Amino acid sequence: MWTPSITRRAALLGTAGLLAAPALPLAQGAALDIYGPADPQARRGGTLTVAIANEPPNLDPFHQAGDARTAVTVLMYQGLMYEHPSGEARPLLAESMQISPDGLTYTFRLRRNVTFHTGQPMSSADVKYSYDYIRDASNGSPGAADFGAIAEIATPDDHTVVIRLNRPNASLPMTLTNRFGCVVPKDTFAAQNARARLSQQSVGTGPFRLAEFRPQSHIRMQRFPQYWEAGQPYLEAILFSTQPNAASLLQALRNRRADVALLPRPQDAEQLRDVQGLNIGTAPSLRQNTLDLDGNFAQLRDVRVRQAIALSIDKEAVMQASIGGHGTVLGTTVAAMQESWGAPLNELATQRPDLDRARALLAEAGHGGGFQLDLVSIIGFEWMDPAAVTIAQQLQRVGIRLNIQRVELGVWLNAFRTRNMRFTFNDWGTQPDPHILYYRHFRSPPQGADFRNWNNAEADRLLDQGMETSDPAERRRIYVQLQKLMSETVPTIMLFSPNLVTVTQSRVRNYAQHPTGWWFGLARSWIAA
Amino acid sequence: MLGALAGRLGAAAATAVLSTAAVFLLIRAVPGDVVGEMLGQSAGDQAAEAALRAFFGLDRPLWQQYLGWAGDVLRGDLGDSWRQGLPVAGIVGEAFLVTLQIGLVTLAVALLVGVPLGVVAGVRQGRWPDLVVEAFSLLALSAPVFWTGMVLLIAAGAWLGWSPPLIYAGPGENLSDNLESIALPVLALALLQAAAYAQFARQQTAMVMRQDFIRAAIARGLPARLVYGRHLLRNVAIPLVTFAGVILVQILGGVVVVETLFAIPGLGRTLLAAIQARDYPVLQGALLVAVLIALLVNLLVDLLYAAIDPRVRGA
Repeated sequence: MWTPSITRRAALLGTAGLLAAPALPLAQGAALDIYGPADPQARRGGTLTVAIANEPPNLDPFHQAGDARTAVTVLMYQGLMYEHPSGEARPLLAESMQISPDGLTYTFRLRRNVTFHTGQPMSSADVKYSYDYIRDASNGSPGAADFGAIAEIATPDDHTVVIRLNRPNASLPMTLTNRFGCVVPKDTFAAQNARARLSQQSVGTGPFRLAEFRPQSHIRMQRFPQYWEAGQPYLEAILFSTQPNAASLLQALRNRRADVALLPRPQDAEQLRDVQGLNIGTAPSLRQNTLDLDGNFAQLRDVRVRQAIALSIDKEAVMQASIGGHGTVLGTTVAAMQESWGAPLNELATQRPDLDRARALLAEAGHGGGFQLDLVSIIGFEWMDPAAVTIAQQLQRVGIRLNIQRVELGVWLNAFRTRNMRFTFNDWGTQPDPHILYYRHFRSPPQGADFRNWNNAEADRLLDQGMETSDPAERRRIYVQLQKLMSETVPTIMLFSPNLVTVTQSRVRNYAQHPTGWWFGLARSWIAA
Repeated sequence: MLGALAGRLGAAAATAVLSTAAVFLLIRAVPGDVVGEMLGQSAGDQAAEAALRAFFGLDRPLWQQYLGWAGDVLRGDLGDSWRQGLPVAGIVGEAFLVTLQIGLVTLAVALLVGVPLGVVAGVRQGRWPDLVVEAFSLLALSAPVFWTGMVLLIAAGAWLGWSPPLIYAGPGENLSDNLESIALPVLALALLQAAAYAQFARQQTAMVMRQDFIRAAIARGLPARLVYGRHLLRNVAIPLVTFAGVILVQILGGVVVVETLFAIPGLGRTLLAAIQARDYPVLQGALLVAVLIALLVNLLVDLLYAAIDPRVRGA
């Protein structure tokens, strides 16, 4: 059981999101305050059918980065910590966490009685193996960079893990959550064909284990009877059915073939309003739909041009055109982090349209006569097409003529990886931590990737400082400063976060939507008779 | 006969080699690879990227990659999928059976609907049955399959309150679920192909109807059953068999669209997913199978044609 103690205080200090440490609700009984509240009235059993729009390519939590993968593997694999919706990392497979005063040593006590789906009990050796594996870049994990801060992992006894860092990193607890921080049995990847086998058999500690994965069709998970939270989960099985498009997903909800779905287009909620027996829930998300401005590309090299573009864009109008009113207009952070980490919107520059200033800036930059610019839009991201047309009209007003280029995702990713983004739409998500959100994307190499070639020394300094600072108030001050810098020099224009719209049949109970959009909530759901 | 067969087999093999080499090069010419797909926006760590690329053998020169793959194929090994790690032969084989079922059922429906319509229209040229069939053909032929499929899906949902099962079931797993799963895709494909069949059958019938031996038969006062049954249909049958081959290959092509629309885990959807994920082994394996099928169907049609029409045998 998770009890308040000196240890907890230490844990809180080191983690994200706690501005003024509020009293945490104490977990009653066996179920912890993770995944959502337990429900004493819950009925057990039954298979819940979830319609999903994106099928994960595979179910390997170590080598596959995509959101589609994480969304489902969080039910089968667990990290030492849990990304609580409050923006704080809370113990999951760990029971407690202690941070040394210099911020360089993290000591985790492990939960006892944790069993892997393979039947073995979990020990500190498994944790060490998992994290040593992922941080070794030669194993090819997309999570390797996140774990780069770790210098050494020691296991003084079976239930203690000590992680020593190269330099303080306040987001370590968030790194050890469920995207890349999963714990698997020691030597999992030494076995022949180990990666492939993860798509047929799960080896995690989560409430559900993999029963069947049929590509282009479905994923079936079965309740794991030896799961460490007594009495959890309530569901006997979960069936994820891949839907080929948004229309068929809506159809499945209407005809009660699916119990739960997260709408790929939040505005589709309108089409379901009148359907009897459906509950529609709305939550702010950690995703952002943005315009990125590559500091090495054409006219965008001039900061005045970037500012002028920002000052010409009416974000509200772009959101209305793209997804109707089903989102939140952003400043310089994602919707679900605005309260905890966002700079106050009125303190940010270039957030409201000011066409006169935009024209003046362009004239100053020598573009008084206007110019032509390519805007890259990714095929398959529906919101980008109406957004592109709207933005083209808005920029036309200051003399910038947009030429919209639609490219395939693979082509786009290639340009992104090679830091050749140009002027483009982007659509990405984060875990609820400012370091994880900003560092890799905006810190210049080699520490970060600075995909937008922002190349801003002041930003680098703030990003490093933010990483090393544990004190929540100080940390917030640093990230607010960073955001102001972003609003002034415009490496990106965060347009809006689409809402997470979750639709459930009325028989589905106790489902809480996590702001990541991953399926954590199913670990506490049950089906009414 | 044997010589001709050997010649055809040789040509087919050459086609297979050329087309796989072309596919191999083309897919690699498309920007983005499996590593980019796996990393997504988590990219940026050069060492991890290089390690993944080496894991998939993408760091080797192109010719080495091709020879390695071709060598494995000749040994009967299509390799493993880069997405799920499962053997390509299994993935493609399973997907192909799904597609084949839809293809064959569609062909049967198209034949049963299209041929009678076409023959009737051909016999009654210019009269109302002909006009009705013409109207149907024109409509069905001009509607793209994805549109027809979408309309069927919406209509079934809105008017009947019915939608296909969420999860496709094979005929061996659950026959009634299977029929529900394939009903709309088959209908969408069959409408188009029945129309194509009707047009073709009408044209063939009309042509044969103008022939002297039919006129003579009618003039001799032969009963209609014999005129049409013995003289007309037998002559119309030959081109219709050839056409079945063409149609089957066409259906297998169109199936990509309907499989995507109706969430059928067949060859088309597997191919599309493999392209999106840059899963080269599955893509190459699936296309190799598709090419071989197309070649085989054409070969079979040629042979069948020879069996029906003695005049072709010597050619």
